[in-house]
Amino acid sequence: MDPHKPEYFRPALIAGAAAGVFSAIPGFSLLNCVCCLWIMGGAAVAVKLLAQASPVSLKPADGALAGALTGIVAAVAHTLISMAFPPDIEMARRVLGWLSGLGIEQPPNIDSLLEGSTRLMSPGLVILGLFVTAAVFAVFGALGGVIGVSLFGRKALPPAAPPAAPRGPADAS
Amino acid sequence: MTGVSEVPLARTVRAVYAATAAVAVLWLLGIFLAPWLAARGAPGASRALYALFSPVCHQAAGRCFTLLGRPLAVCGRCLGIYAGFAAGLLAYPLLRGLSAEPALPPARAFVLAVLPLAVDGTAGVLGLWRSPLGLRFATGLAWGTLLPFYALAGAVGLARLLRERRAERALENRAGPQ
Repeated sequence: MDPHKPEYFRPALIAGAAAGVFSAIPGFSLLNCVCCLWIMGGAAVAVKLLAQASPVSLKPADGALAGALTGIVAAVAHTLISMAFPPDIEMARRVLGWLSGLGIEQPPNIDSLLEGSTRLMSPGLVILGLFVTAAVFAVFGALGGVIGVSLFGRKALPPAAPPAAPRGPADAS
Repeated sequence: MTGVSEVPLARTVRAVYAATAAVAVLWLLGIFLAPWLAARGAPGASRALYALFSPVCHQAAGRCFTLLGRPLAVCGRCLGIYAGFAAGLLAYPLLRGLSAEPALPPARAFVLAVLPLAVDGTAGVLGLWRSPLGLRFATGLAWGTLLPFYALAGAVGLARLLRERRAERALENRAGPQ
């Protein structure tokens, strides 16, 4: 095994699980509405962890791979949390009320959407949803990972060893 | 590095650029297609498109531009991000060309591009001010314009890495079990 080859899975697992859990918590999940911020942020954190463990500078491809893995882990965590805590309509209404207080308008059909969300938990739809979410999160995660490389992935080169002093004629004598 | 050197870098960059542009156009098309389909009496297809964009956007009607009286599939800020991505893609060949290895933007470009969006978004969430739709679009546009520079660097690097690994595996298979 190449000791310089980065180990992607551990950082992706840690950061992806955290990003997936936050993505599924009502209120916190709203950050995903800005360009999948939890997922891109999680991927950047995964790259930060990867960079700490790597003796060499990371390449954009390392960031894309680690980020995509982070997105997939996040999608699995997000789906598991969503299944464990099915939508609580009363809680959702309270969050939406709080958002309305902040001036954020709701879709006009929000009531039917909320009630429909409890019917959408059939196993087939959950699996289909997992695949779609994993694909979307993997793309945004890869992007976040590459941004992470640009921010955290570069290592300062070690100072070059001073060149050996040339042996001149005086030394030779 | 036999595998990578067999395919010229410029060809990989051009192929990745073309694929990214195709995906960006389809993605943008989907945003406008959702309300258009709803207005044309195809509610099923329209609902599917709205659902496709729902994991990445709140789709709050009051924060979306409208088409034929119906909200687009993403909010104004997200539309700005995706439109910015398309604009950045258009600018990319002029700024970087399509033959060199894509370089990552410097950290200060990242800060400059993300700062307006971060300030406006944070202030909005904290209730300090309510920015108009045009400003949301503009902050998204600034951020989105930088994104293709990261996306292309990552995708080209990934394509080359995968090709390199495939070549390594082929070499191992040719050598046979030791």
